[in-house]
Amino acid sequence: MMRAARRWLPLALLLLVVLAVAALAAVSPEVVRRRMVLALVDLVAVVGLYVFAGNSGVLPFGHAGFMAIGAYTSGLLTIPAPMKAMFLPALWPWLQQTQWPAWAGPPAGGVVAALAALIVGPPLMGLSGISASIATFALLVIVYTVVGNWSDVTGGQQSLMGLPLSTSLAPALVWACVALVVAYAYQESRSALALRASREDEAAARATGVHVRRERLVAFVLSALLSGIAGALLGHLAGTLRADSFYIDLTFLIVAMLVIGGMRSLTGAVLGTLSIALVTELLRLAEAGVPVAGTLLRAPAGLGDALLALAMLLVLLFRPSGLSGGRELGG
Amino acid sequence: MLRVENLHLAYGRVTALRGVSLAVEPGAMVSIIGPNGAGKTSLLGAIAGDVAAQSGRILFDGAELRGLPSDAIVRRGIALVPEGRHIFASLTVRENLTLGATIRADRAAARADIDRFLSIFPILRERAGQPAGRLSGGEQQQLAIARALLARPRLLMLDEPSLGLAPKIIDQVYDYLAEVRREGVAVLVVEQNAGRALAASDSIHVLNGGTVRLSGSGAEVMQHAGFDSAYFGVAL
Amino acid sequence: MQIIADAIALGGLYALTALGIGLIFGVMRLINFAHGDLIAASGYSLLIAAGRPVLAAVVLALLAAVVLALGTERLAFRPLRRADPASLLIASFAVSVFLEKLLIVFVDSRPKGVDFLPGLAAPVELFGVRLQQLQVVTIAVSAALLAGMTWLLRFTRIGLEMRAAAENFRMARLLGVRANRVIAAAFALSGVLAAAVTVLFVAQTGVVAPRMGLTLVVIAFVSTVIGGLGSLPGAALGGMLVGSTSMLLQAFLPDELRPFREAFVFLAVIVVLLFRPQGLLAARGLRERV
Ligand SMILES: Nc1ncnc2c1ncn2[C@@H]1O[C@H](COP(=O)(O)OP(=O)(O)O)[C@@H](O)[C@H]1O
Ligand SMILES: [Mg+2]
Repeated sequence: MMRAARRWLPLALLLLVVLAVAALAAVSPEVVRRRMVLALVDLVAVVGLYVFAGNSGVLPFGHAGFMAIGAYTSGLLTIPAPMKAMFLPALWPWLQQTQWPAWAGPPAGGVVAALAALIVGPPLMGLSGISASIATFALLVIVYTVVGNWSDVTGGQQSLMGLPLSTSLAPALVWACVALVVAYAYQESRSALALRASREDEAAARATGVHVRRERLVAFVLSALLSGIAGALLGHLAGTLRADSFYIDLTFLIVAMLVIGGMRSLTGAVLGTLSIALVTELLRLAEAGVPVAGTLLRAPAGLGDALLALAMLLVLLFRPSGLSGGRELGG
Repeated sequence: MLRVENLHLAYGRVTALRGVSLAVEPGAMVSIIGPNGAGKTSLLGAIAGDVAAQSGRILFDGAELRGLPSDAIVRRGIALVPEGRHIFASLTVRENLTLGATIRADRAAARADIDRFLSIFPILRERAGQPAGRLSGGEQQQLAIARALLARPRLLMLDEPSLGLAPKIIDQVYDYLAEVRREGVAVLVVEQNAGRALAASDSIHVLNGGTVRLSGSGAEVMQHAGFDSAYFGVAL
Repeated sequence: MQIIADAIALGGLYALTALGIGLIFGVMRLINFAHGDLIAASGYSLLIAAGRPVLAAVVLALLAAVVLALGTERLAFRPLRRADPASLLIASFAVSVFLEKLLIVFVDSRPKGVDFLPGLAAPVELFGVRLQQLQVVTIAVSAALLAGMTWLLRFTRIGLEMRAAAENFRMARLLGVRANRVIAAAFALSGVLAAAVTVLFVAQTGVVAPRMGLTLVVIAFVSTVIGGLGSLPGAALGGMLVGSTSMLLQAFLPDELRPFREAFVFLAVIVVLLFRPQGLLAARGLRERV
């Protein structure tokens, strides 16, 4: 009983942290609340990335692609039929007529992203280290190119508009909690344990009978599922989708959050997301301007991102295991 | 000339050397023998600056080497022929030799030395323009030794030079090392088996489990009652 | 004929970029995303030098790229030299974003027009074929630089040290090759290559933007993988191959598939990684199995 309690303590603490953030959001003014909702959505994405990166030790650069798949899937399923007819006249009729309730979008987006991972995953899972990072990056470029040019279905270079604005605080909170529970339950599973063994020494793990490719694929698919959900939530937060929003910048943001927090623990994913969200928010305020003695002092645009990149470099230089140091809260 | 004192080295949780001490005098030949995993490569690597020892001293002419990078240590006069030789397979034989003389400022003399080595090892001259990866194991060993000597070291270290070579070739290598000694270069050689090293050396150290278990002249060590237990690591 | 010239010109640009990235990967196993920002920085130098003599502009562009390359090496990559390739990759990503955003802070993110070498747009007749002057220049400069790089790597001392370091860095150091010198030299050269690419690229497009290097680098990156990570001739070959393939795809792909040509190129990357992970020209002694 005690042991079971101890085992799940880190998860409980992380859930408490997320609940506290949500509670704070609930009493905040509208603008600030929106930013906090965004942070919760980012959390889903970073936890999604973590499920693969943290357990396999391979840092993928293609997860923004899975987010795009989730977002566009959800968008195509939930945008009101008349709007689709207007913006995407060449869309397949059956999809044009489909109109799912908004809440069903994210899970559907997650499932389609997971399916995509299941299809492309098997060959990729044999790759390690830098070649795995390159291959997943290639995947990102492929998704970006397809989404950005498949005009009949995605609107191509145009924005896809009309997604229901359904990502309010409650769904964001629920999905963040789901992501944490899924990630933690997975990480405590036998499959993840085997995968982490391969992270330290792939040959040795293989020798003791770990099926590295299969275990990696499990993590990859699960990770794509969460990423797809996060992408869909992001779409329903903004209301419009553009291929560019799911490319290098987003990749950098989620990778930075995970690396700064520490990619070897779920606590790292949470810590990285929340601290960067906070710092970004403060910098955004600075960019918008702080009234000082009657004049508006304003930080130049782009400064926030530059500092974020700098922070990431400093973490790599001075604290390679991230803010969390690879440990779990209370663990 | 070289004094190693109480050297400790670990790779994370794996300890490779626990308090090794030894000395090499100018022009001497010293061998270290020990089974696989004894710490032989780690010892030579630590002296050459290829891996970092955590504590202890490595004094060369009285100056501390520990903490210096490998490119600085070779400038002090210590050259290493590493285990597995590590010749540059994609570069030509001559280019490999040229790299051996990297640290030398006397370019003309270095070029003359390269030609001298090419005449000492005729097979290298024949293949001077070919990628070194095409040489046989014995030829690569010759190349690796010549390359190391081109730095004009006062101490030449060799890590298992006879590994994978036919007995006849091993004899050639050791005959050549004897010549090198006559030119005043000290030699520190590591082998798994005493073999040829035994007769050629002034002194031998048996290394096992990261410590020197037994030291002395070749005959002393081989005939020592404790040799087997020292070498095979059975409790002393 | 026109298509072939296009293919070679584009291939040349990619080859130069790929070589810049391949050099750095060779000596320190770092995939340098920030190479794109070298291109952007020298692009903006051309903007600053607008109106000055062409030579002055080119020198300024060269200086900007080389100084920045050496600066990133000294401040970011040298302290990380012992880190694993994955951390290095993340670091170069961070350096790249940092430089790009810094540029945005100073010049904002909108593309700006630069009227650089407008005279080169004129057509010329060569061997009875009408070509754009700029194409001829691009091809000539690429060829000259590739030849120059080959000479430098093959026949100079530092070139030999670089090739040795690329094959087996530890062994090279054991022979006395100074790591800092070789790596700094590789970065400086990558800066030169970046500046050359910038000059040709800006002359062609007439615009500079903080992200102007991104596409080039992403494609060059792919070229080095296809050619064989760590192999310099491989990088150049990969660049040529990718450049001409995407030109040919552009020319011969059916209309509705044309926009997707990059997707095909990147699919090729994945296929190469899976079936010939060492690339078309394998590099020797690559420590990590790629
Ligand atoms: N790079 C390394 N990382 C971790 N452990 C190592 C490394 N190199 C050697 N070891 C360990 O250190 C010990 C000594 O190895 P080594 O010096 O290579 O011995 P020898 O050359 O006598 O065979 C062994 O237990 C070996 O497994
Ligand atoms: Mg050994």
